[in-house]
Amino acid sequence: MIARRALLAGMAGLAMGPRIGRAGPTPDDPLQSVNWGLMREAFLGDAPFVFDDKVSVTAPTSAEDAMQVPFLIDATRLSRVLRILVFADLNPINRILDFTPGRLAPVLAARFKIQQATPLRAAALDGQGRWHVGGLWIDAMGGGCTAPALAHGEADWTARLGETSVRVFDREGRKRIRLQIRHPMDTGLAAGIPAFFIEQLVLTDAAGEVLGELATSEPVSENPLFTFELPTALGLSEVGIRARDNNGNVFSRKVTL
Amino acid sequence: MATTLRRSVAAVTLAMATTLGFAGLGLAKPVTDQDILNDAETTGDVLTYGLGTQGQRFSPLDLVNKETVKGLVPIWGFSFGGEKQRGQESQPLVVDGVMYVTGSYSRMWAIDVKTGKELWEYNHRLPDGIMPCCDVINRGAAVYGDKVYFGTLDAKVVALNRETGKVVWSKAIEDYKAGYSITNAPLVVNGMVITGIGGGEFGIVGKVYALDANTGEMKWIRPVIEGNVGTLDGKPSTMTGTKNASWQGDQWQTGGGGTWLGGTYDPKTGLLYYGTGNPSPWNSWLRPGDNLYSSSRLAIDPKTGEIKWSYQTTPHDGWDFDGVNELISFPLKGADGKTIDAAATADRNGFFFVLDRTTGKFISASPFVSRHDWAKGYDENGRPIYNTDFRPGDPAKGGGADGKGTSVFTAPSFLGGKNWMPMAYSQKTGLFYIPSNEWGMDIWNEPITYKKGAAYLGAGFTIKPLYQDHIGVLRAMDPATGKIKWEYKNHAPLWGGVLTTGGGLVFTGTPEGYLKAFDDETGEELWSFNTGSGVVASPITWDMDGEQYVAVVSGWGGAVPLWGGDVADFVKSFNQGGMLWVFKLPKKA
Repeated sequence: MIARRALLAGMAGLAMGPRIGRAGPTPDDPLQSVNWGLMREAFLGDAPFVFDDKVSVTAPTSAEDAMQVPFLIDATRLSRVLRILVFADLNPINRILDFTPGRLAPVLAARFKIQQATPLRAAALDGQGRWHVGGLWIDAMGGGCTAPALAHGEADWTARLGETSVRVFDREGRKRIRLQIRHPMDTGLAAGIPAFFIEQLVLTDAAGEVLGELATSEPVSENPLFTFELPTALGLSEVGIRARDNNGNVFSRKVTL
Repeated sequence: MATTLRRSVAAVTLAMATTLGFAGLGLAKPVTDQDILNDAETTGDVLTYGLGTQGQRFSPLDLVNKETVKGLVPIWGFSFGGEKQRGQESQPLVVDGVMYVTGSYSRMWAIDVKTGKELWEYNHRLPDGIMPCCDVINRGAAVYGDKVYFGTLDAKVVALNRETGKVVWSKAIEDYKAGYSITNAPLVVNGMVITGIGGGEFGIVGKVYALDANTGEMKWIRPVIEGNVGTLDGKPSTMTGTKNASWQGDQWQTGGGGTWLGGTYDPKTGLLYYGTGNPSPWNSWLRPGDNLYSSSRLAIDPKTGEIKWSYQTTPHDGWDFDGVNELISFPLKGADGKTIDAAATADRNGFFFVLDRTTGKFISASPFVSRHDWAKGYDENGRPIYNTDFRPGDPAKGGGADGKGTSVFTAPSFLGGKNWMPMAYSQKTGLFYIPSNEWGMDIWNEPITYKKGAAYLGAGFTIKPLYQDHIGVLRAMDPATGKIKWEYKNHAPLWGGVLTTGGGLVFTGTPEGYLKAFDDETGEELWSFNTGSGVVASPITWDMDGEQYVAVVSGWGGAVPLWGGDVADFVKSFNQGGMLWVFKLPKKA
């Protein structure tokens, strides 16, 4: 009994240990990324997964501006989506977004900073606890994560910090909400500038109940632009938006649909 | 000795229980109000700035003592890193085996005290437009519950989770663009985080703020300049003093009185003690009157923010005698053998004051520097007897070039007989150990008008040393007699805090880079260690697993290199730093 416990502890220790010598593509990865093994371990753990075109990732095949690479994730072809993780295999900070759609549609658009050519992936968790992974390669000249934000060229970047603009579009049975928040989204990798970024974005209904939640990481682009979709059938007249950064600054506003 | 030993054993037991009971679960043991009030007695931790809310900076620990101190060696160091090597004036805290230390540019680290391993770093994103007068320093953190707090250079109080370093709440208490900044360590009393604010060079109004430690909600604000109205629970409370009693017109609206050093708290009287800074502008001819409550000590009720008493050390200040200096509670033995609940403060103006801390009644004022040109002394009511020749001349009367008034040479300089660096009181010797400086200044006045966010001085100045061979002097002051018992001269100006112990030692740092230990009765230097950069911070000591530890932050900077004038010759060769050092005695084999 004691021996078995020790053995289990030892195995757990191995699983938690440093990820040395695990590099190299795995045969099943359609993108043939040297980092897929590590990404899988870090983001999906031991959970079952499948590479699946039903999770569509749309982005330019070559990044025009390394600091603002737009992408669109659409997992509506899956029956039920609990969570969507967006990450870039070869960025110095891999995680970009962690989206809990809740009552929102499993659709999300944003922009990220790219450091070098990398796969961009979205993993959507279905109701059975299985991950569906889509993705594509984006080519880039790079450097997007280690360059200072453009805001630092301004005399006072705090003057408009957190200003949020919102537009609402009607779209095939859904309301599309596009919002942009003034924020430098500093990665902490540019010399002399500490990490300073929005960590959390919450959409609520008029009663303050959460509609959907988005955890955001350093690679999200400066003055982040997010697009969400809300089923018109919910019949909501108002949505609250609340963002919080890693310095504890809170930005919130309401939008009428 | 027996008591100390018992305390050590208790501390060890507590440390073990903590390791087993809490560390495994990843939960920090919450710090309570009672823990904070007991801090001066509990040697196994340092929960407050000042090693106790009274600010005595005395530890009863005696394992490191006059005999053993020569064996003190560094056991680990910790670099603050980055390219941000500026002045480091921080006093670390030690809670449950974790050290919380702040650094330049509003940064904080949590470090495992056994190994020096970093647990987390919080790096506050500062705007480019911050306006700290006297370097981008920070003096330390406060702990309460599961949080650790500090003030930032953009005038925010930030509460971090002690385990993770994540922000729990952040509150901008003033507009940094008007010149406000926070460099003082906050103080926690009755579940409130209490802080002062800096910006006296920009015509701000100094205030004391009390925030709910759990939520960051403002409980009360007390402006320290008469005529301004405070708040309590978000509503206007009472006016400070009587409008225009000691100020003319609307000058009280930009009257200065920065509370930038923070304060102390005495559980016996239940009062907060705050020092207030110089009146604005420096040119005193523009603001006739005593200018209450600038350059004063205030006793404040922590429940309501009401001022209970005040004592002004420099009425109508004309020399930037920015009297924020800490007021330390201590028992004063009178000639009749009775003990008075007293408090003492060593002011920028060169005098050491003893007050009755219950009533604020003046007891004595004794010079602790060799020259105090501006005043002959104090009368029995505690009012200075001015030497009027040493006030810079009125620009309206001319005498200087380009509309300036006549210049005078006077000592102490505006950097003070003693500046921010806290003194220590020994419960063992009954003496105060004052880090002081011998310097004077040429100072002249000139016209000035207030503009938001611009320096509001109306004075020009240059500092000069008084002696060839030294500026800094560490002095042992007997509060009962006002006599100096011993002094230690240092070439460069002293700019670091003092610590004294039951082991009969007085620790302080020098800009030359040394942490030194002195005999508390003779001033003899018993030990020193070169930290590699100037020590302008306050050392601490605690015990753990039956051993006594000493820690200090090293990193040259602060006001001297920015404002020191001709003092540059004494300090120009010092290199920047940003390093925490921890010492103990070697373990016996």
